[in-house]
Amino acid sequence: MKSMLALIKREYIEHRGAFVIAPLILTALVFGAILLGFTVGRVDVRFSGSVFQLSPTLIYERAFLVLGFAWSLYLAGALFFYGAGSFSADSRNNAMLFWKSMPVSDLRIMVAKFIAGLTVLPASILGFALLSGLLVLTVMSVTMAMTGAAIGSVLPMLLSGFGKVAAALALAMVTQLLWYLPVLALVSAMATLVGRWAVPVTALVPLMVSILEWVAFGGLSPFHTASWAYLSSRLETLLPESYLEQWFIDESASFSLGRFTSELLMQIDWAQMLVGWLLAAVLVYAASEYRRRYVLT
Amino acid sequence: MTSEAEPIITARGLRKKLGGREILHGLDFDIPAGRIYGLVGHNGAGKTTTLNAILGLTSCEGSIRVLGEDPFARRAQLMRNVAFISDVASLPRFLRVRELLTLVANIHPSFDQAKARQLLEGTDIRMQARVKELSKGMVAQLHLAVVMAIDAKLLVLDEPTLGLDITYRKRFYRRLLEDYMTEERTLLITTHQVDEIEFMLSDIMFMRDGDLILHMQMEAVNEKFSQLLISDATQKEPARALGPVFEETRFGQTVMVFDGVDRQALSAFGQVSTPTVSDLFVALMERPTSPRGEA
Repeated sequence: MKSMLALIKREYIEHRGAFVIAPLILTALVFGAILLGFTVGRVDVRFSGSVFQLSPTLIYERAFLVLGFAWSLYLAGALFFYGAGSFSADSRNNAMLFWKSMPVSDLRIMVAKFIAGLTVLPASILGFALLSGLLVLTVMSVTMAMTGAAIGSVLPMLLSGFGKVAAALALAMVTQLLWYLPVLALVSAMATLVGRWAVPVTALVPLMVSILEWVAFGGLSPFHTASWAYLSSRLETLLPESYLEQWFIDESASFSLGRFTSELLMQIDWAQMLVGWLLAAVLVYAASEYRRRYVLT
Repeated sequence: MTSEAEPIITARGLRKKLGGREILHGLDFDIPAGRIYGLVGHNGAGKTTTLNAILGLTSCEGSIRVLGEDPFARRAQLMRNVAFISDVASLPRFLRVRELLTLVANIHPSFDQAKARQLLEGTDIRMQARVKELSKGMVAQLHLAVVMAIDAKLLVLDEPTLGLDITYRKRFYRRLLEDYMTEERTLLITTHQVDEIEFMLSDIMFMRDGDLILHMQMEAVNEKFSQLLISDATQKEPARALGPVFEETRFGQTVMVFDGVDRQALSAFGQVSTPTVSDLFVALMERPTSPRGEA
């Protein structure tokens, strides 16, 4: 356990540029933009103009949720490149033989990399998402207070909105991570084979599978095969879209964590989720065996 | 578990093919505990492949046991008692020195972080420095400190001083000998700068084209091989009659290396001495191939 934690920490140190430093810069930029928006009058902080007839809480919840989803997109991209980078990093950094001189198996090293990609690194991005939400909340509260708005009655509602949206973001991130586990495993396994070329190679895998099926069994085109349909459905985003559309249109409803959660969980095909986990386990094991047997530098 | 009498490494019929070409031709050897072995050979002779087989980094045909274990099947377990440096540039460059030491301490049960820090005292290596900021010599010092702080039974060094200047190389080997080697530890080392490690070797192994052409203790080498320096050209032919394994001309003088010829008999033709390991290596590399496995 001690060595596993040490290996996970090593991943954090190696990849903190993508998961800490870059998000920190982005957060600073977002903060600057929010500050500017409020101070130059782009946002009506009195919430009494013709544009904003909404309550501050509703605006805040929407802004925070949009920011949170932007961070989720960043996480998806960063994890994809993390898989491609971290599973080939020891070769690229010429450190393979150092790690092989340690009393840890290749499987343990690969599992540590994978676990880091599922825990510490997403947790860091979630932390920045929440920090962004708190910054918006702070700037909103301060500017409202400065313009004489009744912040005392609004602040508890804003904090409640923060809590609900934060919980929704955390849940959405966890479910997306679990759903896309095989994609992360695939790009990681590919990286063990082909290094950073794993990024384009992995992107081509669905197309190659469909072309093979089309060539072997026929059909209108590679995009009308069973494998393409399956992979397309497997890559669809897990989001409670109908609830979110309704909530964004309805200008009076506060964010409902309950409805968001129930609709999100109902969307999940748990059998497919399990299949994905098994596939991910097989891919990580295969990658570790390949590394054990054939990767020396 | 291995008893004291048991060799620390045993190889029987060790073969390795790469790309359809056999690069190890059925090696047989035992390495006992407490010895300092030098493994010498040309580039491509199979030294690194042999070391990789010992370290469990590659699979081979035949049988190999290190500390009683199959290294390829149980590399991770074996590394608790085996340390190696295969390339001084292989330390993770993104880590700071203190992070590296803490990491190894958390991963390696036989690593003594305090000892590593003590070994680094007096060097220019700062704990806050990143490995990538260190010079090549400093990285070698750091890697050696990490390895020397591991309480291992076997230490394998594959070209550990490649690219380092003479000062660092000398310091590296002196430190290894003075601060690390004990009777319980075995050291197996390959280097092209064989003259620099000759003073510390107890045994020598020469490899040529995937075969072990020499494997003996240094004392036996001194007894078995002789070098004859002939200044008088008329003595060359009678000396040749004794069957030198190697002959060359240096600055107008003839140098011959003999295998198993009485030194008393040779002294009649010129000055007799023991060949250096590098002279012996050159001599034996030129000799026609001996039957496989004969070492």
